[in-house]
Amino acid sequence: MKIKKSLRILTFILLFLSFSKLYGEELGLYEKLNDFLPPNISIIDESGNTVLLQNIIDKPTVISFVYYECPGLCSPLLEGISQVISRTSLDLGSEYQVLTISFDPSEGTELAVGKKASYSELVPNKDVKNGWKYFTADHENIDQLLNSFGYKVKKEGEEYIHPAAIMVVSPAGKITRYLHGTYFLPFDLKMAIVEAQQGKSGPTINKVLQFCFSYDAEGKKYVFNVTKISGSIILLLAMALFGTLVIRNKKNRTLNA
Amino acid sequence: MSETLSTDLNFFQVKKGLTSWLFSLDHKRIGLMYLYAVILFFLVGVVLGLLMRLELIAPGETIMKAKTYNQTFTLHGVIMIFLFIIPSIPAIFGNFFLPIMLGTDDVALPKLNLMSWWLYVIGALFALSTLVFGDGPADTGWTFYAPYSVQTSTNVTMSVMAAFILGFSSILTGLNFIVTIHRLRAPGMGWLQMPLFAWSLYATSWIQLLATPIIGITLLMIVAERTFGVGLFDPAIGGDPILYQHLFWIYSHPAVYIMALPAMGIISEIIPTFARRTIFGYKAIAYSSMAIAFVGYFVWGHHMFTSGMSGPARIIFSVLTFMVAIPTAIKVFNWVATMYKGSIDLQPPMLYAMAFIFQFMIGGLTGLVLAALAADIHLHDTYFVVGHFHYVMFGGTGFAMFGGMHYWFPKIWGRMYNIKIAKIAFALLVLGFNMLYFPMLILGLMGMPRRYYDYLPQFTDLNVISTVGSWILAIGLITMLLNLVNGMRNGAPAGRNPWGSISLEWQTKSPPPLENFDKQPELNEGGPYNYKN
Repeated sequence: MKIKKSLRILTFILLFLSFSKLYGEELGLYEKLNDFLPPNISIIDESGNTVLLQNIIDKPTVISFVYYECPGLCSPLLEGISQVISRTSLDLGSEYQVLTISFDPSEGTELAVGKKASYSELVPNKDVKNGWKYFTADHENIDQLLNSFGYKVKKEGEEYIHPAAIMVVSPAGKITRYLHGTYFLPFDLKMAIVEAQQGKSGPTINKVLQFCFSYDAEGKKYVFNVTKISGSIILLLAMALFGTLVIRNKKNRTLNA
Repeated sequence: MSETLSTDLNFFQVKKGLTSWLFSLDHKRIGLMYLYAVILFFLVGVVLGLLMRLELIAPGETIMKAKTYNQTFTLHGVIMIFLFIIPSIPAIFGNFFLPIMLGTDDVALPKLNLMSWWLYVIGALFALSTLVFGDGPADTGWTFYAPYSVQTSTNVTMSVMAAFILGFSSILTGLNFIVTIHRLRAPGMGWLQMPLFAWSLYATSWIQLLATPIIGITLLMIVAERTFGVGLFDPAIGGDPILYQHLFWIYSHPAVYIMALPAMGIISEIIPTFARRTIFGYKAIAYSSMAIAFVGYFVWGHHMFTSGMSGPARIIFSVLTFMVAIPTAIKVFNWVATMYKGSIDLQPPMLYAMAFIFQFMIGGLTGLVLAALAADIHLHDTYFVVGHFHYVMFGGTGFAMFGGMHYWFPKIWGRMYNIKIAKIAFALLVLGFNMLYFPMLILGLMGMPRRYYDYLPQFTDLNVISTVGSWILAIGLITMLLNLVNGMRNGAPAGRNPWGSISLEWQTKSPPPLENFDKQPELNEGGPYNYKN
């Protein structure tokens, strides 16, 4: 029973450590549920025209931030979006739309068009052409936009460290839902869209933050520590058991003698 | 031991009815419940194996699609490893015979014993429920390698939970045996008067206790990754897939010894009985069990020679792996030395023991081929590995378990099976087994990769031989089981000691009474294997 209890505690420690993987204030996702997006943000669409974000959001809208030359987390994120789009029963383009916006101001329209072409192939059953739009933006606008979502990224060398999540915005521009991760359930998306249509916001269920690392030396060490701790606990318990058995045995023998 | 209890009744007759079994605290009944459940799952695993062999009788799609094949070999692996081989010998014969061989009336913690049986059943139900729910059984292989196991849409979470619960069952059994061996040995039975089967269970139990929690934690981590998206093993979310492989094999390699050590224990019981000789090198066999258990902890890396490890790490793991061969070979030499100049009686249990030595040696020696770094790079993902571990697990442990079944059968049921049919079944099993698995070793050397439902045409002939072997093996299994079932019902009464053995379990009645012995059993002078001639 001791072992079972300690295992349970270990599990909690493990989950806790993984959940509380925070990297300071400058990086992460600080939810701003129920906030309205600023009206004056302009972004650049697939044909290179500058447009007002406010004008594009005319229906429930899923927003995802990536940078198109990302070697890590962005591809799984876009694949996750493709999967959920193709699996949900909602009609892309009429009932809701998806906007993917690059937060790297140096990236241009041609990269956005290229990404659109490659991810469109993953969703043959939906109207991706009109429903999933790709944008870029300049420094000033992108900063304002990221801030309004509480989405903090950090540039390290040529790459960005950034959270993985999608955000749902109501037709009026209100942030109604954050869905974390790179894998989304069709049901969650559908609920989020329906609520966004009504302007209602929902709580974030899955608060696990995920970050993009090429190779996460720090995180790896973290997990290793967990395994070391659990290993030591297992060994200590086993030694305690062995000790108890040997000592008690001796007592019995002296009693018998 | 209570003198007032009526001892005319054996443990079958004391109470009747289904609940008297399902909630029994009697170690013998629990052992038998394990036997029935384990054999049931074994047969399911056999059917899956036969289906896989049928698919492989010809190149291309024969009877199932690629995904179905992947699911079939995963389920075959999960059932055979977690539901058959790991619990088989310790949970069945360990439960039934350990207390009797120690001269006591039950295990130290009977309620915990019942609980571990129930956990086993619950875990098994979890495993089987993957057949019905959702996207079907996992298609990851029994190793559940991340990151695929984190991404596939099949029922991985359920399968992993099953393995987790079964792990607990295994831990509790191990704990129980350790306490029993330390505390309940008959007066006068020191550590070195203990039967070797008990020694092997003792070594096994420590592995169960120390290694199984690791797989539990690892599997929980997979569940956490799948359901909460915590980045542990999947590189896309900051995890490390090699970490999973390390954690998995830190358990699963010692688990190979959970499967093999009790089998060696049975062999150490059978051989002196049928050679009518004192076991050669009692201490060497006893201590080599502990040595195998100990060294077995440090060799897990040899499963990962091709997964990306530093050169020095691979060399160290390779050397350590070669070291496990030493205590294993000590046992083999001691068994053979026991038989030397003995008066060997070729009864079915002895035949199984000899087949064990032969087949386990092929399994062990091919293991050394795989332990050699350079050879492993070529052979790692080929059928050579499949052949190797079936020689160890089935040709070794499986045959030892059959040997144990034939050896202790008259003690458990008080009746004898038909010896002649048992020998025919044995011949079929040996023939079928070697026809089934030996070609795999050759196929592997030729380069046929494992885990595919398809292969190149040049591998066809050997695959046909192998599939035909699987049919002979199946006929042998059916013959053996029918013979045993028939013996159980209609066999002639066997008496206390049909094999003329001198170890403790043969001193009591067959079947034993509820509390195992009518009076405190007398220990054999000069140790448990001191045969007169």
